[in-house]
Amino acid sequence: MVTQGKRIILLFCMLLGLLPVYSQKKAKVFPYKGSGLSKEEAAMHLLSRFTYGYNVKDVQQIQKEGLEKWFFRQLQAKGEDKELEEMLEPYADALLDNRTVVQKYPRGPRVRRMMLDEGYIPQDSVDNKSKFYKAAVKNYMAEKGIHPEQELYRKFIATKVLRAAFSTNQLHEVMTDFWFNHFNVSFTKPQSATFIPSYENHVIRPEALGRFEDLLLATAKSPAMLLYLDNASSKAEQPKAKNKTGINENYARELMELHTLGVDGGYTQKDVSEAARILTGWTNYPMNGYGNTNFIKNIEKSLNNPKNPSVIDGDFIFAASRHDKGKKVVLGRHFENNGYNEGVELISFLASRPQAARFICKKIAVRFVSDDPDSTLVNEMAKTFLESKGDIKKVLTAMVYSPEFWRKDNVYSKVKTPFELAISSVRALDAQVENPNRLVNWVTRMGEKKYYYIAPTGFPDKSSYWINTGALLNRMNFGLSFTSSRASGVDVDLLELTGYREPESPEQALEVYAALLLPSTDIETLKNRLGPLLTAQNLQQKVEKSSGGKMQMMRDMEKEKPNSKQRLNDKKSNNAMLAQVVGLIIGSPEFQRR
Amino acid sequence: MYTRRAFLKSSGLGLLGVGLIGGIPAFVAEAVAREKNNPLYSKRKVIVCIFQRGAMDGLMAVSPFEDAYFREARPNLFLDAAKSAGGGALIDLDGRFGLHPSMKAFESVFRDKRLAIVHGIGSPNTTRSHFDAQDYMESGTPFQKNTTSGWLNRAVGLMGHDHAHTTTPFSAVSLTPALPRSLYGHNEALAISDLKNFKIQGNGAVVKQNAKSFEELYDQTSVDLLRDTGKGSFEAMKLLQRNLVKDYKPANNVVYPTSSLGNSLKQVAQLIKMDVGLEVAFTESNGWDTHYNQGKDTGIFARNVADLTNCIMAFWNDMEAYQDDVLVMTMTEFGRTVHQNGTNGTDHGRASCNFILGNHVDGGKVHGIVDTLAKENLEDGRDLKVTTDFRSVFSEVAEKHLKVKDKKELFPDWNGEGIGVMKG
Repeated sequence: MVTQGKRIILLFCMLLGLLPVYSQKKAKVFPYKGSGLSKEEAAMHLLSRFTYGYNVKDVQQIQKEGLEKWFFRQLQAKGEDKELEEMLEPYADALLDNRTVVQKYPRGPRVRRMMLDEGYIPQDSVDNKSKFYKAAVKNYMAEKGIHPEQELYRKFIATKVLRAAFSTNQLHEVMTDFWFNHFNVSFTKPQSATFIPSYENHVIRPEALGRFEDLLLATAKSPAMLLYLDNASSKAEQPKAKNKTGINENYARELMELHTLGVDGGYTQKDVSEAARILTGWTNYPMNGYGNTNFIKNIEKSLNNPKNPSVIDGDFIFAASRHDKGKKVVLGRHFENNGYNEGVELISFLASRPQAARFICKKIAVRFVSDDPDSTLVNEMAKTFLESKGDIKKVLTAMVYSPEFWRKDNVYSKVKTPFELAISSVRALDAQVENPNRLVNWVTRMGEKKYYYIAPTGFPDKSSYWINTGALLNRMNFGLSFTSSRASGVDVDLLELTGYREPESPEQALEVYAALLLPSTDIETLKNRLGPLLTAQNLQQKVEKSSGGKMQMMRDMEKEKPNSKQRLNDKKSNNAMLAQVVGLIIGSPEFQRR
Repeated sequence: MYTRRAFLKSSGLGLLGVGLIGGIPAFVAEAVAREKNNPLYSKRKVIVCIFQRGAMDGLMAVSPFEDAYFREARPNLFLDAAKSAGGGALIDLDGRFGLHPSMKAFESVFRDKRLAIVHGIGSPNTTRSHFDAQDYMESGTPFQKNTTSGWLNRAVGLMGHDHAHTTTPFSAVSLTPALPRSLYGHNEALAISDLKNFKIQGNGAVVKQNAKSFEELYDQTSVDLLRDTGKGSFEAMKLLQRNLVKDYKPANNVVYPTSSLGNSLKQVAQLIKMDVGLEVAFTESNGWDTHYNQGKDTGIFARNVADLTNCIMAFWNDMEAYQDDVLVMTMTEFGRTVHQNGTNGTDHGRASCNFILGNHVDGGKVHGIVDTLAKENLEDGRDLKVTTDFRSVFSEVAEKHLKVKDKKELFPDWNGEGIGVMKG
């Protein structure tokens, strides 16, 4: 396990190594002074936008490094992540490629089919609720070395938590999350679910800081997306065919509405239908081996057909025989029959529309600046987007060099999502994550079931979506249970954080931990608000009582040297007090914002 | 309603006198106003929706037992209405349709004309994917994937709430761990799997202490959204915890089945009795995807319908004093194939049936159109044809029961009519 403290040291060492490279080019200073931000305030704003959370040490460190230098280093996303990789080892299967996943973590129905085909169980014994059947499934899977698909999903989500909490390349992780949500797919759709771990790891993350068009094309060809939005089954209409299958427009519509142009992007239903025709034949490589041998044979045969070639590219297939060979027109642009390349052209065409530039840039600004970003800012970003042919690094750079980014009313204007709240608590307190899935359960309870958002829109990026009566109570409860590893799966050493100087009173604890968790908050105000409540109501005693220790009063403890048992009780109760103060801070309104 | 009165007294509403009404949540203010001006509190209408995930075989729940084609299509699954048939016989509803024997608890409300059945109900979108079909049914837009809201969430917004009749944090509640698609949207909706957990957690005196501290913090924050929602949270929490009875005793000595559906419906009943403003309740029932050994009068399907029916009837009897205002409606994403498959089950089909229970329902009838199941009458030659668009039934119920005014907003892209499942 690695604490954030170690993480910072590591970061610092690496930094020393990189210094020569970066000092050659001195970056222009970010324009934060104009809006009256100090360097420290600017550092916090920057960290709040491009990391999953920070504490006072991070704030000092990036000021030392230089805000600009830190940002450009994060954009490169080449920081070494050795300790993270160690942490990820138990979850290594989350990184498997799709074909291995299909073999090792087959879906429930497929396991059943395998068992029936092999005569492992008689047909009339299939009953999901019967003990006999369940035991048979378990034995069969153990014999074959296969695992339930749910296990893979849990591992995958665990790696999400660990990466967010401990990756050196924070900006890369944040962007990966942003793009996943932009190109949302969902575990709720079983056909697509199997391919989601690889979708994030091998499709989104590698392209998250590249060119938008490459990312768009990669998602279009991924089994997760092909199956989630049904393009995998979309075929040219064949009036004479026995089976009534045909064009499916779902993907083509979302490609325009959600992925590129936006709902007001000026396209019509006709454009959607034509785009769907262009994308007929785009499907996934069948991986489960059932009844697909002929399909694959036919594809392989037609790979070199000069007139009408099919394409196999990793997990992607362009099935020429399913492709609509007619002429199409999308947004006034004509597409002649050109097989697979038509789709590639379409994607490139859509990715470079001015509407797409505005739509994407606004979404980025909403994520990184405020729920309602200034249109000057969005326009500037969109201009960069078009000039750089969708270079995501350049767009982000344009954003941070805009004075709008640093406007005072944008500081702390975003509400943390439940996931951000959970991870920022880990990072602020240099905690270890022993059981990531417990933390995930809390994130779900607070209203964000990560990877299960059913609609292709992805989670809304709006404060009011995340803050409602039930969710808010759960955020407070999350705070209160955060320091209990049994509840949160997180191990945090509250005393280590204070250099083993135990705060003597709730007020002092408030002071110490607020400085860590809320470096920008006026601690005096917080103390004035909570201090009287904490002391007047005799918090100490109450905590003692409910934490179960038979306590002597603190006064007595001071008078005589306590025996070891007393000391243990003492420590226990004091820890409970510290945990409670930390819980209040994590659940406080100030900590909900970033 | 003394529960509400108790709530008002203890909500510190003396505040009103000194003109602080702007500082308290609207739903509290509403309760006060109502108490002052209208002692006869007009009760809210409540809809309880149960989503049967996995696609219920409507033809087995409510079988056209007279149809020779049907008998032939399901040699191992067909049940007869005649007692002589042996095993459990169907309950003959109208000489044509028979209710599955495990749904016997429904018979009395059907005969009382409070239970309506719609057969041949489904979606105009022919997808046979659970995911897509559920998604379409819950968003209420069968050809639009990117509708951001769910139909029940939109319904909450269209029920004519105003200052005198506002929403509360409990207007829309789902008894599920995560918010269902049906309740996505900008109107507030809660997902709670256990009402007991709707509070600041902890032991003993510390709980109160923590709650007070948080309340203080949220009260003082400068961010409107957090401050106002915080106020709402604390009021809602107090309201709920004050009224939540530890050992809840249902009316009429009802005993709820111990299944997850039973547990959910029991909590819905509690919320209704607490009078905390519940109008839309949602819960689900699982395990309907019966591809294998679906069984006849016993087996998976029989167990599932028994649970569904017994849970609904337990709820209904518990709700005796509230039945005028409460309506229960089931829904499922599609039906199953007319023919049994090779593993004594049924595969994904098209139309199914649904159940609507309430005092103002035009009950005692099997609504909808079901042709004989000859091949030429089937959709794609295999499935029960969708003859009633689910939106036609949902919108009629919403309009008549929940007084939703704007059908067009509830179900965009649709302007059909109801089929008369509601009286009047």
